[in-house]
Amino acid sequence: MNRIRDIGLWLRRRAQNIAVAWLTLMFATFIIQIFSRYVLNHPVGWSEEVVITAWLWTVLWGAAFIIGESEEIRFDIIYSNISERVRRVFTVITGVVLLFFYVVSLPASYRYVSFMKVERSAYLQIPINWLYSVFIIFLVACICRYTWLVYRAFHGAPAPMTDPAKTGD
Amino acid sequence: MHVTPFGLAIMMIVFLGSLGLPIGHSMIVSSIFYLLLSGLDLGTAAEQILDGLFNSYVLLAIPLFILAADLMNVGTLTDKLLRFCLMLVGRFRGGLGHVNVVANMIFAGMSGSAIADAVGIGRIIIGMMTKDGRYPVAYAGAITASAAIIGPIIPPSIPMVVYALISDTSIGYLFLGGFVPGIMLGIGFMAMNSYLARKRNYPVEPPIPLREIPRITVEAFPALMLPVILLFGIYGGVMTPTEGAAAAAFYALLASTFIYRAVSWRQLYDAILTSGKATTSIGMLIAGAMAFNYVVTIENIPNSLAHFVSGFSLSAAGFLLLVNAILLVLGCLLEGTTILLVIVPIFIPTAKALGIDLVHFGVVVVVNIMIGLLTPPYGLLLFVLANMTKQPLTAIVREAAPFIVMSIIVLAIITFIPDSILWLPRIWGYKG
Repeated sequence: MNRIRDIGLWLRRRAQNIAVAWLTLMFATFIIQIFSRYVLNHPVGWSEEVVITAWLWTVLWGAAFIIGESEEIRFDIIYSNISERVRRVFTVITGVVLLFFYVVSLPASYRYVSFMKVERSAYLQIPINWLYSVFIIFLVACICRYTWLVYRAFHGAPAPMTDPAKTGD
Repeated sequence: MHVTPFGLAIMMIVFLGSLGLPIGHSMIVSSIFYLLLSGLDLGTAAEQILDGLFNSYVLLAIPLFILAADLMNVGTLTDKLLRFCLMLVGRFRGGLGHVNVVANMIFAGMSGSAIADAVGIGRIIIGMMTKDGRYPVAYAGAITASAAIIGPIIPPSIPMVVYALISDTSIGYLFLGGFVPGIMLGIGFMAMNSYLARKRNYPVEPPIPLREIPRITVEAFPALMLPVILLFGIYGGVMTPTEGAAAAAFYALLASTFIYRAVSWRQLYDAILTSGKATTSIGMLIAGAMAFNYVVTIENIPNSLAHFVSGFSLSAAGFLLLVNAILLVLGCLLEGTTILLVIVPIFIPTAKALGIDLVHFGVVVVVNIMIGLLTPPYGLLLFVLANMTKQPLTAIVREAAPFIVMSIIVLAIITFIPDSILWLPRIWGYKG
């Protein structure tokens, strides 16, 4: 069991490396864009495409692998004022509903993303289905995560809670 | 009774949301539910989210502002800035309360997030205020919570970037529009603090010796330059707001590495990771709203509302008053970005039809939503501060009450006198 946990932690750190890499890429590309536009007077067209891709991937990759349950933004006026037991029941109910709809929409989402191979990005000529593939990663990761949360709630682990100090607003 | 798919989708959001599913997921699930009920292609949710995120270049200012703030926070900058504020206003009665407000007005230039301000500056200043029981803990918490709402009203401001997206107005003019109410709130809070400090005999800080003034100013100077660079970049007509945000983040990196010499690789990595998480939190709300706003749009809700309201022959002022009342109530229940992304777009066509200026409308809405962070029962700032100071929520609410009243007065002024906001953008060429 410890070995599985170690592997999980290792994977989590690698996922964090990737998120940091995306945000760093976004930041660095912006600096290059500003430098080439205002200092060299020679604007580059590809930069906007890179930063917008980095933004898309940062959000959905982060939502899939990085963000912890305590950092999610919840409407917790009821949720934070109930007993731990009821909260676990809520976790099971919402988890099952989410699983149902995400699983049902997965084939259609996949069809949409793979259909986008007919389009290429304007400057770098990258097929859009590659750029958009992060949505499928996101859906599959959410399905796994919520299966795990529902499973844990069934076995008596504490329900996820938001820590207000950890959410940015 | 006949329930439409739209009605069911709304019920689904409320149901999942109140049972504690994160709001972004609640909106995505409900959109898929709606698509299923209406027999539409289920891939539409993916299409809306992906195309929406991929085509919203203006939103890139959000991760960059967050990054700039996180990079500045790594350094010892907060202490330097607080020393500077102490030098400015510490000598007056209730001095640390004033320092709290002024620090937030200056910090507003960087973080653009009320919660970040309350946690970042708040932790230090509450420590200063409560040492040796100088101020009651609940008062320290309450003034910190109140002062924090100034941050996102004075530019740069993440909520205003979000509003610019939904209303298609200029970020630059919205930012300018935020200056006046931000400064009004600052002055109002300081006046209230002054009054309470006199009545309750709060302490005065020992004046800082004259010979220390140059050193303190020099040390704070690089930090004070950040807002200047950002605002000059945008209003000098040089850069777009998004590029201005990137330049500010770059400056923050240089300042904390070379001037304050406070950043190791490890800290840099952690700062970027923290920004990534905050970006994701907000990004998921935006993604959910993009999916759900598609539903709202095909149901033609905003135009139906505009049509409905026009039936009452409401005046512009009457409509604004109504919107303020609705948002203040919703602000007690919902989180700010959610209101901006889901509720406010519904009002925009009506505001346009009534001839309300959209920059004016945006500033009023943002101020209103910030006050919502302070109002019980669901003022997020109240929770954060109660948690941080280990005080009961009711104690914080009681002490915050005078400040809440003050902020509502400011809201009323800017609501009914549009020129109080718009004169500044007009100087910079706004044609509204």
